Amino acid sequence: MIASLRPTLLFPVSRTSTEANRTGSWRFVRPVYRFKTAPCSAACPAGIDIPTVEMLASRGQIHDAWAHICRENPFPAVCGRVCFHPCEDACNRAELDAPIAINALERYIGDAGLAACSPLVSPAAALLQREVAIVGAGPAGLAAGYFLTQLGISAEIFESTEEPGGVLRWGIPSYRLPKAVLAAEIDRIAAAGVKIHCNRPVNPDTLAEMAARYDAVLVGAGLAAPLRLNISGEASIIDGLAFLKQVQAGSAPVASGEVAVIGGGNTAIDVARTLLRQGARPTIVYRRRRQDMPAFGHEIAAAEAEGVRIVELMAPVSAAADGNGVRMTLQPMRAAEVGADGRVRAVPAKQPPQEMRFKAVFSGIGAGVAEPWHRPADEADAIRLSHCAICRGTPTVGYIGDPVTAENSVAHAIGSGKQAAIALHALFTEGPEAVAPAVDRCRVGPGPALSMEIYLNGERSRRNGRVVTFADVNTDYFLRAERCAIPALAPAAAANGFEEAVATLKPRDALAEAARCFNCGICNDCDNCRIFCPEQTILVGEGGRRSVDLDYCKGCGICTVECPRCAMDMEEESA
Amino acid sequence: MRQVLEGSHAISEAVRLAKVQVVAGYPITPQTHIIEAISQHCADGSLKARFIPVESEHSSMAAVIGAAATGVRTFTATSSHGLALMHEVLHWASAARLPIVMGEVNRALGPGWNIWMDQSDSLAQRDTGWIQLYCEDAQDALDTTLIAFRLAETVNLPAMVVIDAFYVSHTFEPVDVPDQETVDRFLPPLEPRFRIDVDHPQALYPMVGPAFFMEMRRSIQDGMEAAGPAFDAIAGEFESVFGRRHSAVETVGCEDADLVLVTTGSVTSTARLVVAQQREQGKRVGLCKIKQFRPFPAEMIRAVLGSAPRVAVIDRNVSFGSGGIFAREIQGALCPLEQRPAVYSYIAGLGGRDITPETIAEVLRLAEETPAPEAESRWVGLNPDVKP
Repeated sequence: MIASLRPTLLFPVSRTSTEANRTGSWRFVRPVYRFKTAPCSAACPAGIDIPTVEMLASRGQIHDAWAHICRENPFPAVCGRVCFHPCEDACNRAELDAPIAINALERYIGDAGLAACSPLVSPAAALLQREVAIVGAGPAGLAAGYFLTQLGISAEIFESTEEPGGVLRWGIPSYRLPKAVLAAEIDRIAAAGVKIHCNRPVNPDTLAEMAARYDAVLVGAGLAAPLRLNISGEASIIDGLAFLKQVQAGSAPVASGEVAVIGGGNTAIDVARTLLRQGARPTIVYRRRRQDMPAFGHEIAAAEAEGVRIVELMAPVSAAADGNGVRMTLQPMRAAEVGADGRVRAVPAKQPPQEMRFKAVFSGIGAGVAEPWHRPADEADAIRLSHCAICRGTPTVGYIGDPVTAENSVAHAIGSGKQAAIALHALFTEGPEAVAPAVDRCRVGPGPALSMEIYLNGERSRRNGRVVTFADVNTDYFLRAERCAIPALAPAAAANGFEEAVATLKPRDALAEAARCFNCGICNDCDNCRIFCPEQTILVGEGGRRSVDLDYCKGCGICTVECPRCAMDMEEESA
Repeated sequence: MRQVLEGSHAISEAVRLAKVQVVAGYPITPQTHIIEAISQHCADGSLKARFIPVESEHSSMAAVIGAAATGVRTFTATSSHGLALMHEVLHWASAARLPIVMGEVNRALGPGWNIWMDQSDSLAQRDTGWIQLYCEDAQDALDTTLIAFRLAETVNLPAMVVIDAFYVSHTFEPVDVPDQETVDRFLPPLEPRFRIDVDHPQALYPMVGPAFFMEMRRSIQDGMEAAGPAFDAIAGEFESVFGRRHSAVETVGCEDADLVLVTTGSVTSTARLVVAQQREQGKRVGLCKIKQFRPFPAEMIRAVLGSAPRVAVIDRNVSFGSGGIFAREIQGALCPLEQRPAVYSYIAGLGGRDITPETIAEVLRLAEETPAPEAESRWVGLNPDVKP
């Protein structure tokens, strides 16, 4: 009965296609998909394409994420444990809630790659019939070998010790980096075609022999000689680096009681935490303020949590051994003006020197090159790049790793090996003039990090170098979400042994953490552009690649505004 | 089941029971509680609807217009400045023949900034093609919301369910909340007469030139004219299912009255008390509540008020330069009668000023004592100490 009260409806409907109305002619600006550089990737010394890695991980495509990391870094499981992750300091998400746990995710992805025994895949680069010898199987040498192989250049590494890994093996304690993880990632590099010869020390004579046999030699011998304190009684102080090596080899004497470690860098922290695990009570004695310590902040925090004591503003004056230990004379210091290096200097305070007694004292103040030929001579005619130096001659000798990088870290060493590989490839294929422009071209954003994918003209080479800022992110599309908790042993338990102190994320936590990523500057197929376009002009092509149908796009710009991650720009139409 | 409910939540409960599919909303006092409760229903799954938070009321109306065009049941709510901001799209909703239901909480517009009861907001939208139904209390609000969905979907016109700011929206009363099964019997799922369908592409509402525009407008008027009888029929069905009677115009003791008081909204409850008291005192006073303002029930008004000598209309609104809007509509409706009552127009209770039993007694006294209505509406309850 009520249905009979329904009135007749009259309103216009059109079933004619509007295709004839090419609204694109109204446009004076056009949207363009212009992928940009994420701040994390620009901050990564290894140049990893982090926003893409997290996008793949968030979808559960862990193997793809792993393969994507390996384009730029063959050590995800190692770096996921030991990297100082400057990427996280640069993360835009920090301004919304907390940065993405990029380092923990890299470890999760790296471990998944190890568990799957996935081989490294080399891009089909043309074989160059060139051979390069590398001195030293540390991170720089191994990375150089890997990237040279990727570029079709055969690489052979000569390592002086019994096993490859360099500082990763003998320097970094196993509670931070288990030896099995390191060995597995090195084995994978070897399986990718890098020949690694152990027990093959190189000296200037053998270097000359190599020079005759290879098209180039890369020297990546690291920093193996401890710096000296230059105080009286130095002979009673144990070299921290040598101590770490002995611990790795299982031949170190076990320390106990009150011990001191001189220094404020990562070596001092590693020595102190190792001593703690041996049952000793270590005190770090540092001549500047604690905030001036060059060690990574998270390492200092972990050491303190485990029970390492830090005494700041105390400079060693002399050491004297007696039957029961070492008597240290220490000068109290005070913070002074900022020095030429930009750091706050420490100068002696108006207080008399103090004495402290320890069962043993270790030094961990850093290291220098073991041999002068481990770094390029100052007068050498070299192409000096940000992370390596290439000396032109017969043959070409390049220098990689800690001796030539301004900052010393595993990630920088990997970046160094990559830069040298690109430089040699450019040198071999296009000549010396091409080296600097080639390196320049594959910078990630403002650099200095380099991308192999860019060098090989992959998708990243079409990205804009502009680094996406927080203001560029459309935060309407991101709810606050807590950063994942990184599983770790309780500090007291960790300090009890050499078990790994930090664990790998659980799959669910890893995916949720990866999903927090803004994916700054890249398209993650969220389709906001397509949903919001009033003219339905966003086309989805092969592989999900979006494009704009310019016949109908009126240039309103809604797509660009609604893109959450700054992957689009508006551009004026050229007349 | 009887529950103590806030008036706003009587509407949100009705929306939940109506199984609305898309809700858009933007907060504004005193409406916010309606949309807040609905968003909670959506979040906890008690209402399986898509809730679209928007950045303005214009957008919330635009969002439900888009949703309704796909053939789903839709709801939004607003008040005062929010409704004014929607104005442009209100026209669109009606001419597009979309059966959207909107909760509207009567509130004044600024300046002076005022969040209290006043009918200016909804009555300013009287020409937008929306059905307007005014509610007296929380039960009325729940029932009217359910009726509004049936009515809107029968005539394909949008409907506004109007409640008073604070007097109804923020007071708690016992309300009979029906169970889902009973509501389902009264309100079946929407069967859209047209909808956007990707399998049958069409563009709705392209340009209409002078050759057809008038006919299109005439069809809206036809829809409005159908809405009157449709309301009566639906209210009859509602009564048979729920046992509660609602009508476009409700009367109390009008048959023999010398003077009939006309009210809308919550002031009717106060008026019921005053009229009963005066009846006890032997005065032949009647009460007429107008529930349905659009379509205006002119025929019923003539039937109910035509034989009364005097009619006093309380308007909680003013059309500046004219007078009380209900009074003017009633005068217009009575005009065709040869013998028609004297209609006295009173403006009272603007911007949340209380209309007390004393105010109503004053209105009745003035109407009795004034031999013939003045041309202008008379303002009652003004503060004598404030001289304009």
